[in-house]
Amino acid sequence: MASSLTASLNPASSPDLAKRAELSAIDASTKAPALYFLGSAVLWLLVGTVFALISSYKLHNPGFLGNIEWLTFGRSRTLHLNAVIYGWSVNASFAVALWLMARLARAELRHVGLLFIAAAFWNLGVTVGMVGIAIGDSTSIEWLEFPTYATPILFVAYALIGAWALITFRFGRAKHIYVSQWYLLAALFWFPWLYSIAQIMLLFEPTRGTVQSLVNWWFAHNVLGLWFTPIGLAAIYYFLPKVLGKPIHSYYLSVLGFWSLAIFYNWAGVHHLIGGPVPVWVQTAGIAASFMMVVPVIVTGLNQHLTLVGAASALKYSPTLRFIVFGGVNYTLTSLAGSLMAMRSWAEITHFTHYTVAHAHHGMYAFFTMVMFGSIYYILPRILLKEWPSAKLISLHFWATAGGITLYVVVMSIAGIQQGLAMNTLPVGADGHAGSPIPFLTVVAHTIQWLELRTIAGVVIAIGHIAFAINFTWMLVKPRQTATSEPTLFRHAPDLEVAR
Amino acid sequence: MSSEKSKLPPHIPAEKHQQAEQAGANDESIQKVHAILLREKPEPSEGFTPLPLFLLGFISAMVFVCAVYVVHYRGGFDPLVYDERFDAEAAKAAASAPKELTPEQVLASGKRLFQTCAACHQATGLGVAGVYPPLAGSEWVLGKEDRLIRVLLHGLGGPVQVKGNTYNGAMPAFGKVPGGGYNWSEEKISHVLSYIRHEWGNNAGFVTKDNVAAVLKAESTRAKAWSQEELAPFAQ
Repeated sequence: MASSLTASLNPASSPDLAKRAELSAIDASTKAPALYFLGSAVLWLLVGTVFALISSYKLHNPGFLGNIEWLTFGRSRTLHLNAVIYGWSVNASFAVALWLMARLARAELRHVGLLFIAAAFWNLGVTVGMVGIAIGDSTSIEWLEFPTYATPILFVAYALIGAWALITFRFGRAKHIYVSQWYLLAALFWFPWLYSIAQIMLLFEPTRGTVQSLVNWWFAHNVLGLWFTPIGLAAIYYFLPKVLGKPIHSYYLSVLGFWSLAIFYNWAGVHHLIGGPVPVWVQTAGIAASFMMVVPVIVTGLNQHLTLVGAASALKYSPTLRFIVFGGVNYTLTSLAGSLMAMRSWAEITHFTHYTVAHAHHGMYAFFTMVMFGSIYYILPRILLKEWPSAKLISLHFWATAGGITLYVVVMSIAGIQQGLAMNTLPVGADGHAGSPIPFLTVVAHTIQWLELRTIAGVVIAIGHIAFAINFTWMLVKPRQTATSEPTLFRHAPDLEVAR
Repeated sequence: MSSEKSKLPPHIPAEKHQQAEQAGANDESIQKVHAILLREKPEPSEGFTPLPLFLLGFISAMVFVCAVYVVHYRGGFDPLVYDERFDAEAAKAAASAPKELTPEQVLASGKRLFQTCAACHQATGLGVAGVYPPLAGSEWVLGKEDRLIRVLLHGLGGPVQVKGNTYNGAMPAFGKVPGGGYNWSEEKISHVLSYIRHEWGNNAGFVTKDNVAAVLKAESTRAKAWSQEELAPFAQ
C-alpha cells in the first residue's frame, strides 16, 4: 500500500507526502497486534471496573454478595487491581509503546504474527491469573497476587513483546532518537528486571524476614515509576507536540527529566515502610530519593507546560490533547503529593489510610489511564483508517472519567487525613497530648460517608468507560467511509490544522 | 514551518489541490483513505531552549537539602538501628554513663524491693503490734536520714519506741556489712528508703545513694545491729 502511494506521487513534489506514505505503511504494520492489545485492554478495563464497583460497595455494605466465596472483598479487590493493572494498563501500554516505537524508529513491525501470539499469551496469562485469584490461589503479595502458575506465561509473552520493540528500534531508519523513545527503551528493560527479580525473591526462592517487604515495595512502587510512568510520559512527549504541531520546548529539560527519573525513582519505594522494621538508613535513603523525585517531575511538567503555552485553545477541540493534558497535569500533582507522603511527619498521618488509595488512583488513573485514553483516540483512526463515530460519546467519556476521578481523589484524600488524625489521637497525657483516644470502630464508622461518595465517583467513572467501550466497538464495526472524512472533534475547529 | 503547512491538503484551496498533489490527486481512493494521515502535523521535534537558571538553583537546593537529610537521619548506617532519632555519639555516651532514674522509677524500684520488708512491716506499712513497728507516720522513717539509714544497713535489736508504743523484734542488716544476710547495694537501699518515706501518706525527702554510701563509710567498722540508745545521737 505504501509503495503504491509513494509511486503515485511525483517524487519531487513533496518530501513531506513521502514521509506520510512511510508513516502509513508503518501504521498498517502495527494494526493487527495493536488492535489485539487495545481490544483486550478495553475488555479488561470493563472487567476491572465491575470488580472495582463491587469492592467499593462492599466497603460500606459489607453483607453485599458476602456469601459468594470468590466475590468476598479480599478476592474482588485483588481481582480489580490485577484486571486494571495487568489487563487494562499493561495491554494498553503494549499497544501504545509498539505503535510509538514503530513510528519514531521509522520501522515497520516485522513478523506481526509472532506478536499476535505474544498478545494471546499475555491475555491467557492474565486470564489464568484472574481465575487463580478467584479460586483462592492468590499469593497474597500486593501487586504480585497472580499465582505462580500464571507467571511463566506472562513472562514468555513479555519477552516476545519486549524483544519485538527492541528489534523494531534496531532496524529503524530514524537517525535521531526522540525523547519518547528513551522512555520506551528504558521501560522495556526496567519492567522485566523488576518483574523477574520480584518473582524470584518473593515466590520462587523467597528471601527471609523484612527483606521480603523491601522487595515487595521496591517492585510495587517501581512498576508504577519505571514502567507506567515512562510509557505515559513517552505518550505525552509524542502526542503533545504532534497534536499542537510545535516542537517540545527544550531538549535539555527532556534529558534532565529522563535521567533524574532513572537515577532517583528506583530508591523511592522504601517510603512505604517508614516506621517499619527496616533499617532506618534504608528508609532515609528512600525518603531522600522521593524528595529528589520533585526534580524530574518539575522539569518534565515545565517542559510540557511550556510546550502547551500559547496553544491551549486546542484543548477545546482535540480529544487526544484534552486527555493527554489532563493526564500530564495530574502526573505533576500526584508526583508532588507522593514526595510529600514520603515525609515522616506526613506519612505518620496518611500511611495505612484511604489517603494512600486516593494517591494510587491519582497516579494510575488520573495520570496514566487518561494518557492511554488520549493515545487511543489518536492511534485508532490511523490504524483503522476510520473516524471515531461519536464526538458526544468522547465528550461523555472525558467528563465522566475526569469528573469521577477528581471526585474520587478529593473524597478519599479527605477521608484518609481524617482517619489518620483520628487514629493518631493519643490518650490524655501521653506525649503531652490533650485529646482522648477515639475508639477504632468510631474511626471506621466515620469513613463510611466518604466510602459511599467513592462508590458514586466509581459509578460516574464506569459511565465514562461504557461510553468509551461503545464508541470503541462502534468504531470497529462501522464501515470505512468512502468520502474524505473529517476528524471527530469536540467542536468545529476554526483551524483545520488541529490534528486531533 | 509555514512552507511545510502549505503542503498539507486541508490548507489548499480546491483548485490548487490538484496541482499540489499532482499524480496523488488522481488516485481518488488513496486520497480518501489517507485523509486521516495527511491532515496530521509533522512528527514531533525538539526545541533547544536552554535550561532556566532558577531551575539550576532549585536542583542544587534540593540536592543540598536531601544530602543534609540523609546525613541527619542515617542512623549510623547501622543495620540494627530502626529509629531515625538514633545518634551514635549519644548512644555511646548513654551506654557508659550512669543511669539517672526519674523519681517515678526510684519509687517503682523501691516498691518492688519493699516486698521483702512487707513480710514483717506489712504491705499497709502498719506493722504488727508489739513486734514489728509501723512505718506509716513513724518518726523513725520521717525523721533524720542518718538514723534511718543505719537501721537498714546494720539492723536493730532490743525494744524500740515508735509512735508511743514499744516493739521488740529483730530488724536484720540489709547493707553490705559483716554478718549481713542481704548485701543490698547503696542504690537499692536508697530506693526502698525513698519509697517508705513517700508511701502511706508519708512525705519526707528522697534518700540518695550518696548519703547511704557516706553512712556506710562512716560506720565501716561496725559489725552488729544497733540498739535504740546507740542510735539516739543520730536522731538529733
